[in-house]
Amino acid sequence: MNKSKVWFVAGLVFAGTIQFAQASAVSQTKGNFVDKFRQLDEVLPTPNVYRNAAGEPGESYWQQQANYTIKVRLDEQKRRIDAQETIQYHNNSPYTLKYIWIQLDQNIFRNDSIAERTSTFNSKPDTSLGGIDKPAKISLNQLRRQQFMADNELGFSIDKIADSRGRALDFVIVGTNMRVDLPTPLKPNQKTELAIDFGFNIVEEDAVGARSGYEHFPDDAREGGNDIFLMAQWYPRVAAFTDYEAWTNKEFLGRGEFTQEFGDFTVEIDVPADHIVSSTGVLQNPRQVLSNTQRERLEQAEKADKPVFIVTPEEALENEKAGTDKRKVWKFSAENVRDFAWASSRKFIWDAQGYQQGGDVQPLVMAMSFYPKEGGELWEKYSTASVIHTMEVYSRFSFDYPYPTSQSVNGPVGGMEYPMITFNGPRTILQDDGSRTYSLSEKRFLIGVVIHEIGHIYFPMIVNSDERQWTWMDEGLNSFLDGVAGREWDPSIPWGVEPRSIVDYMKSTNQVPIMTQSDSVLNLGPNAYTKPAAALNILREVILGRELFDYAFKEYAQRWAFKRPTPADFFRTMEEASGVDLDWFWRGWFYSTDHVDISLDRVYKLRLDTKDPDIDWERRRQEEADKPTPLFVQRNQAEGRKTWVELNPGVRDFHDDNDRFTVTNKQRNAYQSFLEKLEPWERRVFERAVAEDKNYYVLDFKNLGGLVMPILLQATYSDGTTESLNIPAEIWRRNAQSVSKLIVTDKEVVEFAVDPNWETADVDIENNYYPRRIMPSRIEAFKYNRSTDHISRDLMQDAKTKLKSAESEDNKTEENQEEEQN
Amino acid sequence: MRTFWLAFMVLIGVSAASAHQLRTASTTVLFNERTGNIEVLHRFFLHDAEHAVKQLFDKKADIHQLERTREQFSDYVQQRFGLATLDDQKLPLSHVGYEIDGNNFWVYQEAPIVPNLKGLKIRHKALQDVWQSQQNLVNVEGNGPLQSVTFNSADNWLEVYF
Repeated sequence: MNKSKVWFVAGLVFAGTIQFAQASAVSQTKGNFVDKFRQLDEVLPTPNVYRNAAGEPGESYWQQQANYTIKVRLDEQKRRIDAQETIQYHNNSPYTLKYIWIQLDQNIFRNDSIAERTSTFNSKPDTSLGGIDKPAKISLNQLRRQQFMADNELGFSIDKIADSRGRALDFVIVGTNMRVDLPTPLKPNQKTELAIDFGFNIVEEDAVGARSGYEHFPDDAREGGNDIFLMAQWYPRVAAFTDYEAWTNKEFLGRGEFTQEFGDFTVEIDVPADHIVSSTGVLQNPRQVLSNTQRERLEQAEKADKPVFIVTPEEALENEKAGTDKRKVWKFSAENVRDFAWASSRKFIWDAQGYQQGGDVQPLVMAMSFYPKEGGELWEKYSTASVIHTMEVYSRFSFDYPYPTSQSVNGPVGGMEYPMITFNGPRTILQDDGSRTYSLSEKRFLIGVVIHEIGHIYFPMIVNSDERQWTWMDEGLNSFLDGVAGREWDPSIPWGVEPRSIVDYMKSTNQVPIMTQSDSVLNLGPNAYTKPAAALNILREVILGRELFDYAFKEYAQRWAFKRPTPADFFRTMEEASGVDLDWFWRGWFYSTDHVDISLDRVYKLRLDTKDPDIDWERRRQEEADKPTPLFVQRNQAEGRKTWVELNPGVRDFHDDNDRFTVTNKQRNAYQSFLEKLEPWERRVFERAVAEDKNYYVLDFKNLGGLVMPILLQATYSDGTTESLNIPAEIWRRNAQSVSKLIVTDKEVVEFAVDPNWETADVDIENNYYPRRIMPSRIEAFKYNRSTDHISRDLMQDAKTKLKSAESEDNKTEENQEEEQN
Repeated sequence: MRTFWLAFMVLIGVSAASAHQLRTASTTVLFNERTGNIEVLHRFFLHDAEHAVKQLFDKKADIHQLERTREQFSDYVQQRFGLATLDDQKLPLSHVGYEIDGNNFWVYQEAPIVPNLKGLKIRHKALQDVWQSQQNLVNVEGNGPLQSVTFNSADNWLEVYF
C-alpha cells in the first residue's frame, strides 16, 4: 500500500517534467541547468501592430464599441423585469463579421447551464474513526437553492431579435452565449443595430448566491415586507471581440467574471413611484422623479464637507411603511462605460457629498451611498467617506476619476463592482432594545470592502482587463492598491497583503501559477488576490523602489485606461517604464509555483597574507599555539611527568631551539624577490591591501525555494552597529541553486542575516542567520510569552490579596472587572 | 446501489459570489524535534473568524472584545480538526492556546511525536459548516519534504506519507 503510493507520486512528478519540457520551445536537454533569467520571449505573445513590444496599445490598436438604449420595467410583485433593448454595434476591427455573439449571463441559473450541470456535491458520508459512520450532509441552503431553481423559471426569455428595420434575425443560444446572424456581413468601420426584447425572473440572492438579485425583508412594517433589488448582468451584452482572442467564447461558469466592450448607455428604468434608484450614469430627469427638496439637497451636497441626506433615515423609514400603485421612470445616461448596473428599493436612505477633484477631466464627482435602515449609522459614517478616500488615493496611482458619480449601495451582495456603482454587504446588528450597533470588525469590513469595490471602478472598469481569463489582473492589482488606500485610512488596522501573509500558501505543494484561467484556479483568494498583491508590494518596496514602481504603474494605468490590456501588456509596461529587466520576477512569481527560501549555509572568514615571512610565519605559529593541547600531553604535564629531553639537556640541538615556523634569510630573500617582480600597480594594490588588513568573508547561499530574489543581507558588527548590503537577484543568473559572495568589511562581523525585516516572503527564517539562531517555533514562543504573562498576572493578584481584608464580595467585583477588560 | 441517509445541516452562508472575502485558513503541522512535539498552528483570517462566530455561536459573539468568544472559537476549531495514524489511532492533541496577531487568529495544539510514523491522517473541517467555499490548507513540515493537503467541503480525512 505504502509503496504503491510512493510510486504514484513519483510517476506524477515524472509526467510533470515531460510536460514542461514539451511546453517550452527552448529547453535544456543536457545537464540540469535552469535559466531563471531567460527572457519571456517565447512565453509572451509576439508584439504586433495592435499591442507593441513596450506593452502599449499598438499603432493599429482597435476595440469594438457597443451603445445601448434600454427601457426596462421592474415588476416588484413578480420580481421580474421585462425590457426592450437596442444595441448599436460599431465594428472597429479590420475584419468582416457575419455574426455577433451576445452574452446571456442570467442563463447561468438555468438547469441546463454548464455551471449547474458541473457543480459538484460537497459532502460525503463521514467515516468516523470510532466506527460510527455519519451520513452525508446537505444544508438547508442547498435545498433552498434547489427548490428556488425548481420553482422559478430562470434565465433570459428572449422574445424577439430584429435588425433596425424590424426584420427578425436568426439566433442560436449556446449556454450563456448567443450567436445572432446578421442579414449582411458587417464590414470594417460599419455599424449595425440589434433590437432585443427580453425578460427574466430575478433570483433571490440569499437563496442562489449570485452577483445580483433581490433581498426580501419580511419584517418591515409594510404588509408583505419590502425588497432591495440589485440589478447586474441584467441585459443581453455584446461579447468582446478582440485582437488576441476574437470572440470571447469561454462560457460564464460563475467565477471568471466579465469581458466587456465600452459604449454609451441610455436607460429608462420604470419602477414603483416610491422607489429610489441608484444607477450607473447620471440621472437625466430629476424633475420627474425627485422632489424639490431632494433636488435642493443634492445641490447643497455638491459643496458640502460631509455627506448630506437626500433621503433622510426618517423619510426612508416612513417610505418603507407604505406602497403605491403609481410608477416613475428614472432615466440615466452613461458615457464610455463597459457595463451598466442599478439598484432600486423603497427602503433606501440616500446620502451624497461632492468630491471636488479639480483638474479638467472631471472636476466634480458626486460620491453617494444608498442603504436601508439596516445599514444605519455604520453606513452614514463610513460609506460615502470611504468612497471619496478611495478616489483620492487611487487617482494618485493612476488617473483622475473620469466619471460624474461614484456610488456604494447596500444590499444582499457581499461586495461587487460595476462602473460608477458598487454593491457592499456589511450592516449593523439589531439589538434586543431596538438599537442598532456594529462591531469593530464590521466597521473594518465596511471600510475595506468599499475601498476595494470602488477601487474596482479603476481596475477593471476603466483599465478594462479580461476578467473571464485573468482574475489576478483586476483583483491582484486592486488588492495591492486597496492595501495602500487602507493604510492611508488607518495604518493600525491590519490590512494584509504583507509578504508574510502569503508564505503558508507559497510553500504548500497544492497551488497553481498565478497565470491560470480564473475558473481553473484551485484557491482563488491566495492565488488571485493575496499572492499578486504581495508580489507587487515586494516589487515596489524591495526591487524597484517606490519612485520607479509608481511611475511604471501609473504609466500602465494611463496607457490602458478605457482600453483592454492583457497580462503581457502589464509585464512589458512595468519593465519598459521602470527600465529594469523584470522577466525573472514575472517568471518566478506569476508563471511558476516556486517560493522564496534563501539559506545562508556557511560563512568563511579570510585574512590576507602579507607574504612577509616574519609576519605570516609568526601568524602560523600563533595558530598552531592556539590549537588545544591534546589531553594526553595535558595529563602528562598534570602528573608532573618530565620528558627525556628535559631530564637529559645534553641531547638538545638546533631543532629543539627552532620550531618549523622559524624564518631564515632564504624566505626573506624570496619575499624581497616577490616584491621586486611585482609591476608597479600590482605593488601599490598589494601594499595597500596589506596595510588596510580588512576583513574578508565568503558567504555561501543556497536557494532552497527555487524563486530567485534579491538577497537582503544585513551585517552586524562587533561594535553592535549594523549595515545593509543588498545583493540584486541577478546574482543567481548563472547558478540558481547556490552562489558564494565575497564581502569585505572594515569592522569585524559577528552575524550575517538574510531578509531580517521579512520583506521577501522567505518561508524559512531559521536558515537566514549565520551563525544559526535557534528560532523558537510559534508554539514555543507563545508558551514562553504566556508563562511570563501569567507570572506577572499572578503577582498582581497576590499583591492585591494581601492589601485587602479577605472579603469574598470584593474579590468577586474584581473578577468581574477583569472579565470586562478582556 | 447502497442508499445513504442524507442529513440536514444548517449551513448559513451560500457560497456568495463576492469580490472580497477570502474564506481561506491555513494550518501548519510541525514536527519539532527540539520539543519532541507535533505542533499544530491554525491560522485564520480574523476577518473570516469575526463573521463566523456570529453565525456559529450567537450574534453578540465578538472575537475582538470577548474572551468568551475567543475561547469558544478555539474550542470549535479543535473539535473540527484531527490527526490520526494511518491505522486510525487518533493522536491526542492537547490545547496550548490561542491569540490574535495582526489580522490573524491563531489556535495552537500539540501532541508528542509518535516514533516510526509512516504517515498521518488529517481532518480539517473548520468553517466549512459556515461557508461551503471555505478552503483549509494544511502544510506538514519537519518530517521529510513539506507536504500539503487542502480541505474543501467534500473532504474528510486526507493522508500524507513519510
